[in-house]
Amino acid sequence: MTTFIHRRAGVSELNDLIESAPDEIVTLDDDHRRSLGARFRAVPASGHRRIDAWNVERAGEPAHAFRWSPATTRRTLGNAALRRLLRDPLCGVLDAINREIDDQLMRDVAGYAPRASMASWLASLHESELALVRADATNWALQMHEIALGIELPWRVCASDAFYDIARARTTLRGRQDLEVTLPDRRVLLRIRSGSPGKSSGPGLRSDLTIATLSHPHGVAPARMIGLWPESGVCLGVDGTMSDLRAGARDLVRTAVAQQRQRQQVAA
Amino acid sequence: MPTLTDSPRNVMEALRGDRSRRPRTDVTSAPGLRAMLEDGIFDFWTSAPATPVIVRASSLCNANASTDIALSNHARLRGVLINQLVRLFSVGATITSAFDDAFRAWRLEVNGGELYEYAQRLDGDDLARLATDVTSHYVTLSRALGTIPAQFQPRSAVRASVMLSGGTILLRDVIDLMVGTTLGQVANVALFDVTTSPLGAGAERSMRYHALVQTLRSGVVPLRTSVFSSATGEMWTLDVDAELLRRSVVDVLETIRAMVQHT
Repeated sequence: MTTFIHRRAGVSELNDLIESAPDEIVTLDDDHRRSLGARFRAVPASGHRRIDAWNVERAGEPAHAFRWSPATTRRTLGNAALRRLLRDPLCGVLDAINREIDDQLMRDVAGYAPRASMASWLASLHESELALVRADATNWALQMHEIALGIELPWRVCASDAFYDIARARTTLRGRQDLEVTLPDRRVLLRIRSGSPGKSSGPGLRSDLTIATLSHPHGVAPARMIGLWPESGVCLGVDGTMSDLRAGARDLVRTAVAQQRQRQQVAA
Repeated sequence: MPTLTDSPRNVMEALRGDRSRRPRTDVTSAPGLRAMLEDGIFDFWTSAPATPVIVRASSLCNANASTDIALSNHARLRGVLINQLVRLFSVGATITSAFDDAFRAWRLEVNGGELYEYAQRLDGDDLARLATDVTSHYVTLSRALGTIPAQFQPRSAVRASVMLSGGTILLRDVIDLMVGTTLGQVANVALFDVTTSPLGAGAERSMRYHALVQTLRSGVVPLRTSVFSSATGEMWTLDVDAELLRRSVVDVLETIRAMVQHT
């Protein structure tokens, strides 16, 4: 039996959702990893495939070609700015965003930025376009800071998303995570998304939960994975139970199968 | 009773007001307002529509809930470009050429659509006319807006989408500029909307709608809601209170009823 919790995204509701995370800690061991790997290897891959919660929510439908835009850079810049802000509390949010962008531009000038990277894209922008990128990243950082400051337990901004490579299956799983809240003996992960949650948001959250567990060095599952949609004022949660982890893994494998079928149809 | 003020010396001054006179943060009204909306919808709802009914601030301005055909592409594009300038202002960008900067910023975000195609088709004369128009609105806006201090935590183009009645009704909104935070002991979120039209009867409904949707979205009642006309330099500001939000609930219910009957 899987879990699914729906709440308003108010400060007290979010704190209740974090504090009521289940006490039982679930762990994925080597047998689970081997079993998942075998299932992915059974799905033929024409190239290296990357699967994330968005692919799961879209049932493996091919996404539009990626292009850099203010919307695709805001989370990276916003989260990095927030980490900088926590290291240096005297720095304001806008200052932190400016410094992050300056760092990216420096990387490009120094020749460390690959072509098609965010740094080289930012370097190609006009001053007014860069200001728009800054405005979008500031929105993201302020919104996330506001959410984080409302959390009563210790929290940190995740250093990166969760990545898990499946050996000999040419597959990389990417789990989105923005904030980690530490409770005694367990952790709760928060993921922030724009727009409104849809019917497939539950499976998306479960996939992120599974990937976060797989990428943990000891396979320890977060007690709860919470998805926040600040635009709608809604948050959804799934618990780190074995049923939810299994459901998440099944959805990831199904997505790989759906992607492969769609590729075959396109090729035919 | 909320009061309307007009033509401030400085927009930020009017939005933030006297800190010592701010009310305590109201986190209790949102569930009641949502319940009023849900009950109101239930009273006239006969069957769920096939597609969700989408309410926007513009829906409240049009009494018959139809699109105003007088709203030309030129006016819409001008409005979009002025909104881009507000976004650039919010991060303290230096604007050298209002039209060029706004147009560049807008082109970075859009990748198609009716307005994009309209902009592509503009010839030299039309572009010059639009540029003059945008520049004149920008001058009015920049004089009133001044510098937005970073400590006010300005956020631009803040989107909201509140679902009602099991997702069959969507209240959508975009707030051009929002300053302040929902955290804290006293209310300090101020909403600022910019329009390139002169302020009319619909503007007040639209201000109330912004306050209502922001309350439903965040669960916290904002301090003020305001609208600024870059055509006339006029600004209306309302302190948000329970009465204003209740009036907005009535506005929204009337609009939904009209939209449902219309379809």
